[in-house]
Amino acid sequence: MADRLFSGFFSDFFSMVGVTDSIRVTLVMSFWSVLISSVLGVLLGLLLQRAQFAGKRIVVRLNRTLMAAPPVVIGLFSYMLLRNKGPLGMLEWVFTIQGMVFAQVLIITPLICGLIHSYAERIAPAVYAFAKTMGATERQTRWLLLREMKNEVYFAVVTGYGRSISEVGAVFLIGGNIKNSTRTMTTTISALKSAGDFEAGIFLGVLLMIMAFIIQCLADHFRKEDTPDEDD
Amino acid sequence: MRMIELEKKLGDFHLQIRDLYLAPGRIHGLIGPNGCGKTTLCRLLAGTLIADAGSIDYEGLKPRDITMTAQKPYMLHDSVYKNLVYPLRLRGIRPDETRVEQWLARCGLADKRKQSARSLSSGEQQKLSFARALIFDPQLVIVDETLSNLDPDSTRLFEGWMLERQATRSITWILISHQLPHLFRVCDEIHFLEKGRHLASGTAEQMLLHPANDAVRRFVAEQSVQSW
Ligand SMILES: Nc1ncnc2c1ncn2[C@@H]1O[C@H](COP(=O)(O)OP(=O)(O)OP(=O)(O)O)[C@@H](O)[C@H]1O
Ligand SMILES: [Mg+2]
Repeated sequence: MADRLFSGFFSDFFSMVGVTDSIRVTLVMSFWSVLISSVLGVLLGLLLQRAQFAGKRIVVRLNRTLMAAPPVVIGLFSYMLLRNKGPLGMLEWVFTIQGMVFAQVLIITPLICGLIHSYAERIAPAVYAFAKTMGATERQTRWLLLREMKNEVYFAVVTGYGRSISEVGAVFLIGGNIKNSTRTMTTTISALKSAGDFEAGIFLGVLLMIMAFIIQCLADHFRKEDTPDEDD
Repeated sequence: MRMIELEKKLGDFHLQIRDLYLAPGRIHGLIGPNGCGKTTLCRLLAGTLIADAGSIDYEGLKPRDITMTAQKPYMLHDSVYKNLVYPLRLRGIRPDETRVEQWLARCGLADKRKQSARSLSSGEQQKLSFARALIFDPQLVIVDETLSNLDPDSTRLFEGWMLERQATRSITWILISHQLPHLFRVCDEIHFLEKGRHLASGTAEQMLLHPANDAVRRFVAEQSVQSW
């Protein structure tokens, strides 16, 4: 009896708000946005470290600003680009997962780029000098720099992933929170809250917290492996 | 190797070498007070720093034949073994395992080959970086206080090793050290720097036992009280 009630509650709950779909949407979206942002962010971060040009400091500062920019602003900006009359209107990405990924890439790439760039700046002099004394070629030196920051790259990717799954503003603005299609775990929670359904919201919330905890553990793991760096 | 009118400015510090000749195939010692420019001069020679003016005649030595081990050696985020064979990797040379084994044994690292190099003690890191610098048979080896943290036995061991190697196939060495007895045992020539200038050169005996130059005499006298 209690058993039936329980399973009844859960099947209702899952179909009502599309909980399973929201989990799927979140996973698909974060996978693509983190993958694209990681490739772009690492490349741009390394490029920024190596390039010497007037105004480099401004670029670095702008990037730092973007790292801290409220996602909803980036969401709005993405919406302006993607809406029917916008310059990228022909993509028809508004209210799609692609559109959400687009906005998230704009949010996460600066984050990863910034982390990679500042770490690269910090270790580059020592790595370059070492590579030179070992007789490394230019290409071998560049490759060495990337390899020496392997853990930092993982850390940046994991941080980006955490940002992706927890973000609400841009996803809401671009995705439109459409059930079973662009509704993510975070936007589901806000929808549930408006409907007064706190239990379901808490369920998703706990799930997100568990994911965040796992991500934090991974991030700490990579940071810890790097500590001998700090005290030499 | 001859340095002429070599100049480098770093902040307030100004290195100026009028004319310094380092004979090839010999072991040179570089001495002088802290901050006198020993490391700076060696970094210019190793090419990790670019001079503001002046010239260095390497007498046919190629950049890839020159190596330098730092005061604080750089350790790759990798195992002891990978660190040791890294210069061979760069040259596409397959490591000769028996030789590698021999190097590890000499450094007392035979059973630590899989350990992360960054977890080694500073003395162990210095030994490893010394071995790593020699493993690809360079022609000029600059050792910037790399052996400063070794215990007396190990220091003797590495000295013996250098001299033995020097007897079979001589290469050029530049040793920076504040351990004058150590330099006295291995060096053919000693060069003294002070405040970015080269003040005197001579054989180890001339420079460390009977220095003619006043500054050198003062420096050596102070040092010998501490460590002779
Ligand atoms: N990047 C830099 N900017 C400003 N000053 C520098 C820089 N690098 C070195 N110096 C200065 O140059 C001087 C010489 O430094 P160097 O490292 O060559 O001394 P050293 O003879 O090796 O001393 P030690 O015996 O302590 O190792 C020092 O006074 C140092 O402060
Ligand atoms: Mg020094």
